[in-house]
Parts: sequence; C-alpha cells; structure tokens
Amino acid sequence: MDPQLTSLIVPTEEVMQIEECLMHLVEDTGGSHALLLDKSGQVITSQGDGNQDITALGALIAGTFASSREVAKLLREKDFRMLFQQGVRENIFIALIEEQWILCIIFNKGTHIGLVKVLTKKATDELASVLDRVRHQHKQRDEVLGSSFRTSMEDTIDLLFRD
Amino acid sequence: MALINVAAREIHCKVVYYGPGMGGKTSNLQHIHNRAPDGTKKGKLLSIETETERTLFFDFLPLDLGKVRGFDTHFHLYTVPGQGLYDRTRVAVLNGADGVVFVADSQVQKLQENLASLKELAMNITRQNKKFQDFPVVLQYNKRDIQPVYEEQVLPDGTRRRRQVAGALPVAVLDKYINPKMQWQRFEAVAMRGDGVFETLRAISKLVISKL
Repeated sequence: MDPQLTSLIVPTEEVMQIEECLMHLVEDTGGSHALLLDKSGQVITSQGDGNQDITALGALIAGTFASSREVAKLLREKDFRMLFQQGVRENIFIALIEEQWILCIIFNKGTHIGLVKVLTKKATDELASVLDRVRHQHKQRDEVLGSSFRTSMEDTIDLLFRD
Repeated sequence: MALINVAAREIHCKVVYYGPGMGGKTSNLQHIHNRAPDGTKKGKLLSIETETERTLFFDFLPLDLGKVRGFDTHFHLYTVPGQGLYDRTRVAVLNGADGVVFVADSQVQKLQENLASLKELAMNITRQNKKFQDFPVVLQYNKRDIQPVYEEQVLPDGTRRRRQVAGALPVAVLDKYINPKMQWQRFEAVAMRGDGVFETLRAISKLVISKL
C-alpha cells in the first residue's frame, strides 16, 4: 500500500463482511466480544455483547500491539503476530492482519485457548482478503465524502474550537 | 492513516501531541477535556502514567465533533511520554498518526531538548515511510508566561553583555531555531491555563482534514 496514502476507506459491503466474520468468531468460540481495529487504534467494527468502552479499549490494545512490535525489534524479531493476555475471568487474544489491522477477541475461562487460536487464524485469513480488496478498490475521498466536505468540516472546526 | 467507515458513516483521525518532557502535552489534553466545547462529545481522558504522574505510555482523549455532511467525525488525541527513556514508546504511540502537534517548551534551558525532540520526530515519521516535509505538523510554543531573567556578563575586552539565563525565549528566537523556514503554523500558549490550546487544536484539525 502507498505509505503516502492518508486515509483508508472501508466500503459498506466490506464492513458487512467484517461484521459477519466477527459474529461467527464470537459464536463459534463462545467469546463475549470481537473487535477489528486499525493499527492506529481506531475501531473499524465490533461484535458481541460487551459493555466496555470500545474506543478506549481500541486505543489501549493498539498501543499494546505497537509496543510489542518495538520489543520484537529489540529482540531482532520481525513482529509478535499474536498476543495473549490472561486474567482471572477474562482473556484477550490479539492477532495482526497484514501489518494494518488488529483482530481482538475477548473470552472467558469457559473457552479453550486452542479453539480461539484455530478460529482466529481462520478469521484473520478471511479478513486479510477483505483488507486486500479494500486496498485495491481504494476510492477517491470526494467520491465518498462529497466535494464540499472539506469546507463544511473547516466551518465546523472554526465554530467548535474557539479559545 | 485516517479511517473512513462508509457503512457507519464515520471518520476517525489520530492526532499526537509530541515534544520534550514536562513541556505541557498532557496539560493540552486536560484543558481540552475540561473545556470541551458545546457541540462536541468527549470521552474519558485515559492516562497511563508513572507514580509521579509523568506520562508512562500515553494519554488518550477521544473527541467527537458531531455530524458533518452526514459523517460522524472523531478525533483521537494522544500524547507521547516526553522523557528520553521512552523513545521506543513514542514510536509505538506515533504509529498511524494523521497529524502532530509539537509542543515546544519556550524556556531558554529547554531549547536543546526541543531541537532533539523535533529531530527524533522527523526520524520517527520518516521510519513510517512518510515524507516529514509533507506531514501535517503544527507547532505550539508553550509556557509563554514565564518571565525572562537576564544576567549581565563582562566579556574579556571589558564590554558588557546581557544574556538570558531563564524564562521564555522570545518567539523570534524560537522561530530561528525550531521553525527557521517558517514551514509550520505556530501558536503561543500557556497550556496550564488554556491559552492557545484550542487555537492549536483548530489548526491541526484543519490540516489533517485537508490531507484526508
């Protein structure tokens, strides 16, 4: 992907495919929640019945992943592609998708980690092909937002952010 | 990289406050959090800090600007830990940023730290395979309220010279060293009391939106 590209546009059809994939992952593993994040920490979409602060969760999980990547570099490892965080009640399994997205599943002690690993691998493969389509179909901003979006946004920012 | 979710009609942008330690990055976010304007929806200010309240990993503040042309626009504001020790953590937080506010400490004794931090920022952006000269950056000269202190020196030839030993450097001097080509918009601020905080946020928000 062009590193100078400043935005990633995820079309409706792809978002629906991601939601379906996350829903299957939650159902098949018996997990409580699955999230797909961009590596910058923004939540693309989530599925499940958790009542957590998803935005904060996304920022923290992406931070953990980015931090582990720096640890990997210090150990001359390319990446840690999977992370597992184990609590008394809740566990989190996190997997990287093509250096761009992060898949995260939250599950409790009733679910076996082996099952989560296998099904997450299947889901990451599916999501990697969705990401590939998103990258290749990259639409122009104006096509999605409309040509007057920027002016409207600037007016809104002027109105809101006054000292 | 900003994220545009067409199905949910959402836009997400990431702005990182970068700069030397104790420069006022967290104070910027605290003021934005305390005085979030009507019409915006703020989330919880999340801080991961040391026992002495220095930033350990990052501060995070989600700010929802409401609907614009049918799209909900969310700005995610982060700070990096400024202390030298945490250089790798700064790389991690900077990952995927759409714009940076560089918070410079105006004090004379902090000039070298400002320059070192700016150099490090340029290196970290370049490592993300982005061109630093094209990357959205806004400068904030913070702590403008600290009065300058001068000392008179007698040079070997007997002439007397006044030298600034403490307090905020004049803006022209900061420009000369930090922004010599005047390529970045810069704002004077006293973040602790909120002066210049929203002005800076307004500039970086517009810059990021212009690059979408």
